[in-house]
Parts: sequence; C-alpha cells; structure tokens
Amino acid sequence: MAPPMIGVENLAKSFGAVRALDGVSLSVAPGEVVCVIGPSGSGKSTLLRCINFLEEPTEGVVRVGGRRVGFVETGAQVRRMGGRELAGLRADIGMVFQLFYLWPHLTALENVMLGLTEVRGLSTRAAADRAKTLMHKVGLADKMAAFPEHLSGGQRQRVAIARALAMEPKVMLFDEPTSALDPELVGEVLQVMEQVARDGMTMMVATHEMGFARRVADRVIFMDHGRIVESGPPDEIFDRPREERTQRFLDKILS
Amino acid sequence: MNIDFSTALPYIPILIKAAGFTILLTLTSQFFGTVLGFFLALGRTSRPGWLRGAVWFYVWVFRGTPMLLHLFFIYYAAPSFGLTLDAIPAAIIAMSLSSCAYNCEIIRSGLQAVHHGQVEAARAVGMSYPRIIRRIVLPQAVRIVIPPYMSNFITHTKNSSLASVVTVPEIMLTAQTIANSTYRVIEILTLAGLLYLFLTSCLTWLQLWMERRTTYERRGLTARRRRQLGLEAA
Repeated sequence: MAPPMIGVENLAKSFGAVRALDGVSLSVAPGEVVCVIGPSGSGKSTLLRCINFLEEPTEGVVRVGGRRVGFVETGAQVRRMGGRELAGLRADIGMVFQLFYLWPHLTALENVMLGLTEVRGLSTRAAADRAKTLMHKVGLADKMAAFPEHLSGGQRQRVAIARALAMEPKVMLFDEPTSALDPELVGEVLQVMEQVARDGMTMMVATHEMGFARRVADRVIFMDHGRIVESGPPDEIFDRPREERTQRFLDKILS
Repeated sequence: MNIDFSTALPYIPILIKAAGFTILLTLTSQFFGTVLGFFLALGRTSRPGWLRGAVWFYVWVFRGTPMLLHLFFIYYAAPSFGLTLDAIPAAIIAMSLSSCAYNCEIIRSGLQAVHHGQVEAARAVGMSYPRIIRRIVLPQAVRIVIPPYMSNFITHTKNSSLASVVTVPEIMLTAQTIANSTYRVIEILTLAGLLYLFLTSCLTWLQLWMERRTTYERRGLTARRRRQLGLEAA
C-alpha cells in the first residue's frame, strides 16, 4: 500500500475546557476522497484546521505527504516550525472555507493569482495565465475582472476553489464549502468539486451534502463529540451503519 | 471699531513664512507619527502579551496627557537630563510622540476591521505575515482609516499652534507678535485664520482624492492593470 498522503495519529484539540477533538486517528491515501460528516460541533472543522495548522493541536501528530505538520523532526529532536516553514507547508495544502474568504479588494482573477506571485514567485503574466486556466476550469471565464462583491455565493466559492487549486496542492481540504450557500447555488460548487475529485486530487470534505458524499467519496467518516464514531465506504455508512449514533444522525438529516 | 486691512497687508509675506514652519512641523511629525503609529498598531495587534501591554501603556500615557505638556517637557525639562534641543527639533519630537499615539489607535481600527477569515485564507495559501500585512490587510485598512486619519491630521495641523509656546515662529506666534506691535489684532488674526483654513482645506481635498482613489470596486480595473493581466478591455 502506498504511504498515506494524510496521516493523523491520536489528534486532540482543546479550547479551554471544551475538547473539540478527542483522540482522532485516520489516514488518507493519495487520490482518496474522504467525506467527514457529523452534527455541528462534532469536530469536523477543527480536524481539517489542524491538518494545515490553522489550529495548533493540543496532542497528536499530523503528517501531510510524509512531512510532519507544524514541527520539524531531526532525529529525536522536535521543534516548532517557524513562520516561513509553516507558510511553505501550507502552500501545499489547499483549503476552502465555508464563508469563502475571498479578498474583497482584488478581482476574481487576482484572488487566484496572489498566491502564485507572492508565494510561488511567478511573474504577473505567468500567474495571470495559470489563473485564467483555472477560472475556465471552474466555469467563470467571464468573471475574471469582477470583484467578489459582484459575484454570487456559488461563484465566490468557485473562485475560492480555483485560488486553492492554483497552488497545485498535494491535498485539498474543504470545510463545509456549501453550507453558506442558497440551495440553488449548491449544485454548481459540488460539480466543480466532483471534477477536482475525478482529476485525482486527495480530498477531505467536511459536509452536510449526503448525496455528494455518497456519489463522490471513497470513504465516509462519521464524527461526534470530537471522535470518529465509524468510517467506511459510503453505501455502508449510509445504508448499513453499525453504530446507533450514526443511524440517528442520518435519520435526522435525511428526513 | 475701525477695521483696516491695508495696514495688515504688508505682513502677509511674514505670515506666509510662518506658515512654512507650521507646514514643516505638521508634515514631519505626522510622517513620523504615521510610520511609528503603524508599527505600534502592529504591536498592539500582535500575539506577545508584553508587546501589546507596552504599546497600550505608551498610548495610555501620550493620549492621556496634553501635547502642550509634551512640548514643555521636551523643550524645557529635557535639558535637566542632559538633552538640549532647538525649538524646532524639540517641537517635531514632541508632536511626533503625541501623533503616533493617536495614529496607532486609528491604524489599529483599520487593521482589525479586516475580517480574520481573510487573513486565515492568506495563511492557508502559504503567505507569510509581512506579505499578508502588505497585500491583504493594508490595502483594505487604508480605505477604512482615511476619514479618521485625515480628521486627526487636521486636528494635528491646528495643534501645531501649541509649538508657539516653545518659541517656534509658526503662524500663531508670528501673528501674536505682529498684532502686539501693530495693534491690528482683528486683521492679523483673520489672516492667520485664513492661512489655517487654507492648510486644512488642502487636507480636506487630499481626503476626497484618497477616498476616490480607493473606490476600486466601482471603477473596476485600470487599463494598465488590464494590460498586465492580459485581459481585454471592458
């Protein structure tokens, strides 16, 4: 078996007295699409945010592409990464947020370009060319010069996906990418994500879109109270869950 | 009461020269006050508690005491510590110290108005802290900060009249001297007032210009930027 693209061992995260993650272990193979489902507050977002160190784990180890996240290991010595090392690591991990977080003072195209010029060191022209290819890919060729405030939620989220993909990351993390969208705009975003999955990207998706999870995921993880309750292929989780808690959650969300 | 501007007119060149000192004091201290204030604002929004506390303390002291006192302190009290300064450098230092306390708070309000999520998105793309400040936070903060910043700039311009107490021959001190020797108080003070009004009007105009320049969303990309990006004209 190929070494995992994402490896999480015994991950825990506390916010004060609240234990958001309570001993999570999992591994994601290259090209695998994993959907994380569960009630709000179950730790889905915190899990994703620990993977690119936006949240610093209280305990446990995260590796992406074999590299320890947030720390440098030399022999037996472990030290915390500096800002620059952390930035370099994050450049290889794409992240899409629930609330898009496009930069409002830049056009859609410039949003996609900025990481390329600032982090990858591309020239303006080379960055613009690559960003245009991605704007085509997410179906927004006609919106390149538009500012975020003139885009719909679905369009904004597609720009955010293009912005993350432009960096050519090893993995993509999606933190409830459609939860803030009007229902009629969800489809266009899921369609783009499905395309990204088909292209072989390693993906972790925290989502409430059970149809998407069933269709696209190789594996579904159900979380509750900061723990993985069960995980397995989508048809197993959705049709024959072993745990009663999973069943109760699915009953609630699908009814 | 007789008002006769003809006797006051010959003093206009002297008053204009005095305005030169007012401009010198205001611009240099506003410049230092802005640069220092920016770094203080970064310190005030940074993670280390001691740094935040130190900046808070500075602002507490310098915003909580009158600029007149800072001027007296630097000019009259500093020699007891072995530091003797001419009037103009002393005034510039005192005014800068005062200005940067206010500018720290004004700039901080702009930095903090940029949604934290945008900073997070930039971190997720792999941008370092200085780049995030330069490319994401500052461009947005500038626009937010323009009205309070310019208001403070105008106040600061008028407060430069306080430098008269440490003998800087700026507009107010010069006007007083002329008025005392000519007894044309109303005429001279009117001219001084007009000079201040002219200076602050320039700042008001500058504010309008800056606000217009930063409404990019409505005006869209410039032709030059479009060419750079290889986009066809709108």
